[in-house]
Amino acid sequence: MKAVLGYAAIAIGASASVVGIAALVAGLRMHDALLLRVGRRTVFVVLGAAVAAAGIMEWALISHDFSIKYVAENNARGTPLLFTITGLWAALAGSILLWALILGGYLAFVTHKFRRRADDALVVVATITGLVVSLFFFALMLGPANPFTTLATAPADGRGPNPLLQNHVLMAFHPPMLYLGLVGFTVPFMFAIGALVTGRFGEGWLTDTRRATLVAWGFLTVGIILGAWWSYEVLGWGGFWAWDPVENASLLPWITGTAFIHSVMVQERRGMLRVWNLSLIIATFCLTILGTFLTRSGVIDSVHAFTESDIGPWLLTFLAIVAITGIALLAWRGDRLRSPGRIDSAVSRESAFLVNNLLFAALAFVVLLGTVFPLIAEALRGSRLSVGEPYFDRMTTPIGLALLFLMAVAPALPWRATSGEVLRDRLLAPAWVGGITMVVAVVAGARGLAEVLAYGLGAFATAGIVRQFVLGVRGRRRALGESRTVALGRATRSNPRLYGGLVVHFGVVLIAVTLAVSSSYGAHREVRLARGQSATVSGYTLTYLGAHIDRSAQKTSISAPIRVARGDHVLGVYAPAISTFPNSTEGIGTPSVRTGVVEDVYLTLVSSPTKGGRITLGVRVNPMILWLWIGGGVIALGTILALAPRLRRRVRPVPIAEHRAAGTEPAPEDALEPVPSEEVPA
Amino acid sequence: MKRWAPWAVLAIVVAVVLVIVAWPGGGKDAGARAHDLAAELKCQECQGLSVADSSAPTSVAIRADIKRRIARGESDAEIRQAYVDRYGEQILLSPEGSGLGLVVWVLPVVVLALGAAGIWFALARSRREPRLHPTAADEALVDREREAHA
Amino acid sequence: MKHPARWIAASVGAVVVVLGVILALNVGNDPQVESQKNHLLGQDAPALNLPTLAGPRVTQDDVAGKALIVNFWNTWCIPCQKELPALKAFYDAHANDPDFAMVGIVRDAQESKAGIAQYVKDKGMGWTIAFDPGSQAALDFATRGQPETFAISPSGRIVGFQLAEVSVPNLEKMLSFARGQT
Repeated sequence: MKAVLGYAAIAIGASASVVGIAALVAGLRMHDALLLRVGRRTVFVVLGAAVAAAGIMEWALISHDFSIKYVAENNARGTPLLFTITGLWAALAGSILLWALILGGYLAFVTHKFRRRADDALVVVATITGLVVSLFFFALMLGPANPFTTLATAPADGRGPNPLLQNHVLMAFHPPMLYLGLVGFTVPFMFAIGALVTGRFGEGWLTDTRRATLVAWGFLTVGIILGAWWSYEVLGWGGFWAWDPVENASLLPWITGTAFIHSVMVQERRGMLRVWNLSLIIATFCLTILGTFLTRSGVIDSVHAFTESDIGPWLLTFLAIVAITGIALLAWRGDRLRSPGRIDSAVSRESAFLVNNLLFAALAFVVLLGTVFPLIAEALRGSRLSVGEPYFDRMTTPIGLALLFLMAVAPALPWRATSGEVLRDRLLAPAWVGGITMVVAVVAGARGLAEVLAYGLGAFATAGIVRQFVLGVRGRRRALGESRTVALGRATRSNPRLYGGLVVHFGVVLIAVTLAVSSSYGAHREVRLARGQSATVSGYTLTYLGAHIDRSAQKTSISAPIRVARGDHVLGVYAPAISTFPNSTEGIGTPSVRTGVVEDVYLTLVSSPTKGGRITLGVRVNPMILWLWIGGGVIALGTILALAPRLRRRVRPVPIAEHRAAGTEPAPEDALEPVPSEEVPA
Repeated sequence: MKRWAPWAVLAIVVAVVLVIVAWPGGGKDAGARAHDLAAELKCQECQGLSVADSSAPTSVAIRADIKRRIARGESDAEIRQAYVDRYGEQILLSPEGSGLGLVVWVLPVVVLALGAAGIWFALARSRREPRLHPTAADEALVDREREAHA
Repeated sequence: MKHPARWIAASVGAVVVVLGVILALNVGNDPQVESQKNHLLGQDAPALNLPTLAGPRVTQDDVAGKALIVNFWNTWCIPCQKELPALKAFYDAHANDPDFAMVGIVRDAQESKAGIAQYVKDKGMGWTIAFDPGSQAALDFATRGQPETFAISPSGRIVGFQLAEVSVPNLEKMLSFARGQT
């Protein structure tokens, strides 16, 4: 019953997409307002269908309806409620359903936002593009990825989700955030296609989608960082990023998406880099589809890969259509994309953004090449070779450092051209801060080239950021006499894009420095302990208190409580565990992490107690990991700040001439707002 | 000259620091060698982990074997080759710099160089062309104004 | 001059097409299959020289000119326990063949030597059981897990291999491979 309803909902979503596309195309060509309205309404039908299908699936999961194959495979009676709900995205078909749901949400939002421009060709073509994408995903669910296939006989109990997916509350956050980001990039993509088709490739489509792009980018960044957190807290291998193909699949659109949100500033300001911007957003969308393909087609071996299905050829075909359409449109419009402006000087904000684009493109190329190279090798030679962490680290570190340098320098570069004096005023002091930091680091014992450069460039960038804030606050205090806190609040809110961006950059610095530290320092040992025995690693004393067995409907866990102490000071008891789930033969290890401000103590149970009662305990001391998550939080805050509306004054200021006539003095808040020396509010 | 002084001093300081850091120090000790080699080999029982990071029995055995080989005096290249002989090329996480593996190292550098060259030419071209071409009418206008205010 | 966008678009398009073709070719392949192969298949097997449970070492002389089955196992992994009856039946069927040899190599971190000896006695494992100090044999055979079984021809070449529990038909097939080659 539920399966029939669910499948019907999906069919409605697909048909609504078709109807919408037809109505909008016809309405556009015949300038028929009624058809256009019908087309717009279908977007809401699509959303409704997706909500209905997802709702029915959740209902089936919560009611343990094992007649539906998806529920039987991803849920069991003993599964806790949280993981029953998250079971919606635990496997392939459900993840497509989630994608369709989020896509429907974004499409409805866009349609609602642009309801007053319903007859604008740009908006209409964008909506058509969005509906084509939604049609594809609904068609997937009608065909190879049907979440509502039924079983002839319903089993008494389901298999339960993959053990790794019912271990940690992050399961509720990481996939949805990631999808909100990945799917969100469909919005600027839709408008880019609209711009190319209608020939309106000025700045209109950028301004229309600016907020949506930033929201999508924010979600994708947070989603990727949550993924790293998951890898660290749940998978138990001690690291947070393995350059696993599926991790790379989410990173690739992030790389081009970050290049995009920077590069559009040049187009907004000077109308340049149009081809770059269109290419970057088309590439970003294509990379989200490529990522979906890599994750779900079984082509690449990965800890993440969903089980195989026939979905591969469909995704690949869609990807080919999108890529070739995008490239064809760009080639067709090529001549008319010439911009009126020119780059005047090699040392200017425009050229810095151009170099930025090049570096991000190179970074994306490296990650893409490394990820698919095993496939290329197999196609050419019949045997695979592996491309793993050593390759990626070695190739991405120089690019990352170059980007860090740009991040420190570019915000201070003026548009068009500059002089040595301006550069000295803006950059010399922060550059010296960076240089001195490098000296201090070397004196303190740091000896890695990349590591020391990361410290220096990070300090350089931070000094520049602090300088911007200080100037903004100081300007307001001088002119308006505000207190420091009020000035800070008002300054940031009067130019949220600038200050939000600076906060995000600071978060990036935190992450970059943490990466440098954690790859250079840290300890790793395995110790065998009998009950009551202690071992000392890096100044921490670890005492094994004796094993503990927990049985529940969901799983059976053997945990090994370890008392962690530093010298005399006991830090707590941490219990790594190995859990076995009823339907899986292998045990899943769960690490236990003592998070510290300076370093983490990371404990894993390598083997359960032997007959003699001895365990093998894996101990890692990982420096500064907490700062990765803090950096992620700072980036999220900065993004929210950048999205905030600008502080606008409500009262019309009284012109000076009127004051003179009346003999009054202008109120302080009516004085011209002081503008920080280098940033004219856009 | 004075304008460049603070920059020049900074450049010298940074250069000195970099030289100190990059100076090839003493060779790695055996423990570091063993760890670095283990980090270059792929765990054969796991998904994508290196031998250094994994706790699988085969990885534990490989780590012990690497230590024995280092103690016997084998070089890094010999140890890597021993493992390639047994497990095939796929055990190396970082492709060899010869044959097909060379592509994955060289291609990104080539692409980056081409891109940089492209940007260089674009900048140079935009600077070579004058921004405005005065027409005859413009010249006449300027001459008239000059005479009027001479 | 035409806008460079056309050239760039053409070259990017070419790269995309090549990438698409490669991905399409790979769609049918299962990377897991790759990890089930053994690189040494078809090459000469490493020479045996291991201490045994019974006492005297087993060396290459003991197995020269015979079709050899080598089985890597331990006492605790579930597939190892599951394949024990098949191994026993297979061994009993061929124990008296003059050109047949079977060696079980045990690598077990959980059990002492005495424990292993007791296990072997309890389960009635009649074939040569050898220890693998330092896991040298396991690495030389490029094993990836346990249980793993190899078939070696009389001339010393690895002709068959299975990573996973074996059944009697598997073993018979491997033996016929070993005998069919010289």
